[in-house]
Formats: sequence, C-alpha cells, structure tokens
Amino acid sequence: MTDSITLTVRRTIRASAARLFEAWTTPAMLKQWWGPQGVECSDAAVDLRVGGHYHLDNRLPSGEVLRIEGEFEVIEPPHTLVYSWRLGPGGSAERVTVRFEVCEGGTEVSIVHERIATEPARDQHEHGWLGCLDGLVTLLEAG
Amino acid sequence: MARRKPAGDSDDPEQQHDRVFHALADRTRRRLLAALAERPGTVSELAAPFSMSLPAVSKHIKVLERAGLVVRTVDGRLHRCSLGAAPLQQVAAWLDPYRQFWTDTLDSLARYAEQEEDEP
Repeated sequence: MTDSITLTVRRTIRASAARLFEAWTTPAMLKQWWGPQGVECSDAAVDLRVGGHYHLDNRLPSGEVLRIEGEFEVIEPPHTLVYSWRLGPGGSAERVTVRFEVCEGGTEVSIVHERIATEPARDQHEHGWLGCLDGLVTLLEAG
Repeated sequence: MARRKPAGDSDDPEQQHDRVFHALADRTRRRLLAALAERPGTVSELAAPFSMSLPAVSKHIKVLERAGLVVRTVDGRLHRCSLGAAPLQQVAAWLDPYRQFWTDTLDSLARYAEQEEDEP
C-alpha cells in the first residue's frame, strides 16, 4: 500500500506518563477532556486490547455529532498507543500513534497521524471539522 | 543558466493537487525532499545515500519536478535540483485543520491533567 500524508504534533505536559496514558484510555476521563475547545465529547468507549474497538463522539458547536472510531493495534502502557482512526461513516482508515515520553518538565506527548487521505479529508472538512475550528478561531479572537 | 518548465505542467489546480499528493505519497521521494530542504544538489549527489540506481532516483526526481516540488536548473551539463516550496505550502494548508485539531486537543489534555497534578 502507498503511505500518504503524515502529520506530527508534540506537546509537553506537566503530568506523569502513567496519568496521561490513563486519561487517554479511560472513557470517564476522555469525556472530561477530549477534543478541541468548543467540541464536547458526548460519549466514549474503549476496549483496551489489541484488536479492541473504541469510539469517541464529538459534539460540534452546531450540535452535529461526529464519531471517531477504530481498533487498537499496539498497546504498551504507559508509553505507546497505536490505533486506526476513522472519522464519520465511510471514513477511510487513518492511523494514529500516541507516545508518552518522560522529559524535562513532565511528559512529552507526540501524535503521529498517518495515512491522512486526501480526498475524504475534504469531505470531512465540509462536514463540519473546519466549521468547528473556524468557530474556535472566532472564540479565541473574541476572548 | 536556463530554468526548465516542469514537464506536464498544467494550470488545472485539481490536477496540480493530485500531482503534489502523488509525489509525496512515497518514502523515497519524501527523503529526497528532506535532503533538498538542507541544500540543493545534483541528481548524483541526491542519489548517493540511496541503494538504488541513478535512473531509479532520477525517475523519482522527475515525479517531484512534475509536481513543482523540485526545480531543476541546467548549467551547461550540470543539472542542479532545488526545492520548490510553493506546493508544500499548499500541503501545509491542507493539513492545517488536523494540526489545529491535535494542537488544541493536546492543550485540552494539558489543562485537564495539569489541574489534577496541582490538586493532589
């Protein structure tokens, strides 16, 4: 298969890797923090085993709910998670690798988002991700 | 010194878009771009780190050239390649919603987790 577009994002957080791993894999905790500002995580389910399914429901400011879902490929607590990522019905399978590495000042969380499909991505944007982020920008500028 | 017009160039933005993503959807070509981001080079210089033939590398460079990601200048017999940055900006714009999504989601995780650390 051809590998496609990959995005990497990093952030240092003042908390232990174990705590962050737990926050990332526990539905009750995910509901409290998951998603960009303005997006509410209205439901979360995590079957934390290789091949296990997860879903994250994202309620956009418009009220529309977008489900992110997939299956776990690698689970190595508290440092590594790899899972497939499909956004919305019929979304193509992308892949997300999350790493929690101890660093000065806490834990560096790195996200590698692979196989970003170029065509369905455009549809996703039309379905509201972009709108939600536009809303976010407005919110930040207003604040 | 002459600047070559990229082969198969077209003004159709959709076709241009397809060429850029096709060009990037290959590990060797991304490594070539990374090398070019450091400094311009001849085809043989670019081919040196790869365990593949010069024609094979040359073929990859042509794909990048058609996408506008590589600009080739010809000085006598010397073909020098450099990075064509404009299409990369297009890709960056494409990825921007993803980048924003993850940056913002990690901010949210930081707020949540750091608040908990502060309130033992």
